[in-house]
Amino acid sequence: MDSITTGVSSKEQPNVTTILKESTILQMDRSATLRANIKRFYIYIVLVLIVLVFSLMKLDQVTFFERGHFLSPDSIINLLRSAVPILTLSGAFTLLMISGYIDLSVGSAMSLAAVVFAWLILNGFSFLPAFVITLILGAILGSLNGYLVMKLRITPVIATLVTLSLFKGIALLIVPDGSSAIKGSAEKVMPAWINDYARKDVLLGLPWAFWVAVLVILLLVIVQRKTLLGKYATAIGGNRIAADLSGINAVRIVGLLYVMVGFFAALAGMARASYMSLGDPLSGDGMELDCIIAVLLGGTAFSGGEGSVAKTVVGALIIICVTIGLMTVIPAYWQTMAKGGVLVAAVTLNHLLVREKAKA
Amino acid sequence: MQPTENVLEIRDLVKDFPGVRAVDNVSFDIKRNTVHCLVGENGAGKSTLIKILTGVYDRTSGRILLNGEEYNPRNPRDAKQQGMSTLFQELNVVDQLTVEENLTLGMEDTTFGFTRKTDKINRMVGVLNSIEPSIKPRQLVSSLSVAQKQIVEISRAVAAESDIIIMDEPTAAISESEIARLFNIIKGLREKNVTVIYISHRLDEIFELGDYVTVLRDGKHIETKPVAEIQDRSELIKMMIGKTVFEQYTPREIDCPDTILEVKHLSNHRLNDISFDVSAGEIVGFYGLVGAGKTELARAIYGADNYEGEIVFKGQKLRPSPEKAIAAGIALVPEERRSQGLFTILTIRGNVPVMNMAKISRKGFINDATERKVTSEYVDKLKIATNSVEKEASKLSGGNQQKVVLSKCLFADADLLMLDEPTRGIDVGAKSEIYNLIRQLSREGKTIIIFSSELPEVMNICDSIYLMYDGNLKSTMRNGCDVNSESILHIVTGGE
Repeated sequence: MDSITTGVSSKEQPNVTTILKESTILQMDRSATLRANIKRFYIYIVLVLIVLVFSLMKLDQVTFFERGHFLSPDSIINLLRSAVPILTLSGAFTLLMISGYIDLSVGSAMSLAAVVFAWLILNGFSFLPAFVITLILGAILGSLNGYLVMKLRITPVIATLVTLSLFKGIALLIVPDGSSAIKGSAEKVMPAWINDYARKDVLLGLPWAFWVAVLVILLLVIVQRKTLLGKYATAIGGNRIAADLSGINAVRIVGLLYVMVGFFAALAGMARASYMSLGDPLSGDGMELDCIIAVLLGGTAFSGGEGSVAKTVVGALIIICVTIGLMTVIPAYWQTMAKGGVLVAAVTLNHLLVREKAKA
Repeated sequence: MQPTENVLEIRDLVKDFPGVRAVDNVSFDIKRNTVHCLVGENGAGKSTLIKILTGVYDRTSGRILLNGEEYNPRNPRDAKQQGMSTLFQELNVVDQLTVEENLTLGMEDTTFGFTRKTDKINRMVGVLNSIEPSIKPRQLVSSLSVAQKQIVEISRAVAAESDIIIMDEPTAAISESEIARLFNIIKGLREKNVTVIYISHRLDEIFELGDYVTVLRDGKHIETKPVAEIQDRSELIKMMIGKTVFEQYTPREIDCPDTILEVKHLSNHRLNDISFDVSAGEIVGFYGLVGAGKTELARAIYGADNYEGEIVFKGQKLRPSPEKAIAAGIALVPEERRSQGLFTILTIRGNVPVMNMAKISRKGFINDATERKVTSEYVDKLKIATNSVEKEASKLSGGNQQKVVLSKCLFADADLLMLDEPTRGIDVGAKSEIYNLIRQLSREGKTIIIFSSELPEVMNICDSIYLMYDGNLKSTMRNGCDVNSESILHIVTGGE
């Protein structure tokens, strides 16, 4: 058969590498590999460094909190338990950011889910129905974002800033006047089992909520690396026009990602509500920033296209370590500022290490 | 200062990239107040050389003398201040400002932040006037054509007393009549004490415009000589590729003259009542100048733009969506490969199967092994020059990038392949490979529609030639000996 290549007149491909001296190639490859490796592994190093710094501090001399060593089993379990909401949520958030979109309403969606979940349980629902209803609610909140951004084509930042306000408003409305949260009272008692999900030890001292978060992460790592959804998210974030012309339905794909983010925000909100045994309408505040920073620390480009769910998890752990670590060593009033400072440093370092040099 | 005879002297210039020596010991001179053409295939080192001259890249070694003095620009702004201006393909003008404001942009004279009318503005407007009196200083730049915008940029460079203006394919996006106007201006620049370094793939332009020509190949300097001493195109092409490549159309019969595509009364904001049929296995060429509506027609058929009218493919009415078009068996190689066709952040392996992921995945999970296998098949088939399927698409040369986009469309298993400017900005060798591929695909029963603004391309490979002008389909003809380029040019420039 006359194959496609026969009849092609240029037999020799211009092969530029052949004109190079072997040694130069080796040298260049080595420096390029070094750069690539730094880019690849530095976030793990940052995590280890932060853990080391906090472990070396003599916490018993610190008077603010009576806590043990940073690396004691108790504090590790505490740390991982506090990490549950961000671990649950940041994977889906990463996929959304890889596709070049963003959801600022995640914190409010989390709060609303926490409030609704607590309200359902306070009003006689058993765990499973309340759990499922709240998840469906989360998916609906996500699809509203998806609709505004993908169908009505409202700029993601604006659309989700508006829904941030909307979700939070609804959460505040559900909470009765004169109370700051949905919680047990003299008339209605919050069942004690509400905190089973996020506090009761089921394996290695850790509760269901943690193991669910681990499962979610594993699932989303696979989604990102092995499935069409992950591939299409990368394609859409990398080159939207080419994605459209390649027949990728961005409205459907990104819409689905928004639904997923809403869904996992609800899951995170329930973990928070269970942990605190109440539905706090402000409990998700600041979550969007934590998610964005975790994603950026994980090397995902703000403009989309590149990123890794697994590395976001490391970024999330860095944030939690910093938060918890600082909590043990500095006064409360300083913590927010100190956390901001550490994260600015981390993001700057990330930017300096990861960005491509303009001059090659 | 005594002006030197050579405005620019390049000595032993080397630029290494990881794994590649892009510029290899290049030395040549550029004489003052000439038009010096730079030619070579893609990957020959032209763009790298230009980027070194304009301060975008640092050189690895070698010397450059500008006006006899060491020239080592730190960045593009520095290069400009030392007298090296560039006319990039992406024009550097602000549409929302007037011509006058654009001319002085970044060097306005101000008092407390308010701009002042000064001699500088008058001088700049004067330069523009001497170059192109038809452009009015108060006009908004958005009302200008691409060529007029280029002229505004040239004026700015001349007024800034640049010694050298580098022009990178300035005619790629402008119409024939504007090209003539631009050429007159370029020729006139010699009297304004400006040297032009002119880069183009259109060899005819070099004979019309150039005083000297430098040929680069594989990063090496091949030859610099006066254009007058070069006999013809083929001599130049021989220097560029080291061998001759010529193809000629031979008329042929289509085996199965079944109609595969019917376009009926297609109209939208850029198209005006277009109707035609395409037979299965045919190679159809749409020829027209830039702005004739070719790209818009391709996009409408593909469903990327909205339209009125009807498109019937294989007996089924098409719904306007690229997703549906691909499912029906149509694929489009878009006009701009980097911005519309390629995922530059992905590897070759990431790009090739993207239009038909169903073929390499099951239940939403991608099979990496199949993906790799399929990709290396296409790398072999289309001779994509790379050492690995894991190479990032952004690191390939233009011709190889286009082959990746082609692979992507071929893998979509389309029966109808539409190619919009398939060989724009691609070197002669890769061009002829792509033509052969198109012929081969047609022999295998695929239907091909080419949208091109290069007449030789259409005349070389198309069975039918459709001529477009200003959103209208003006004429249809079978390719063959009676087709002549003069009458075609007459029609596509608006003649009846």
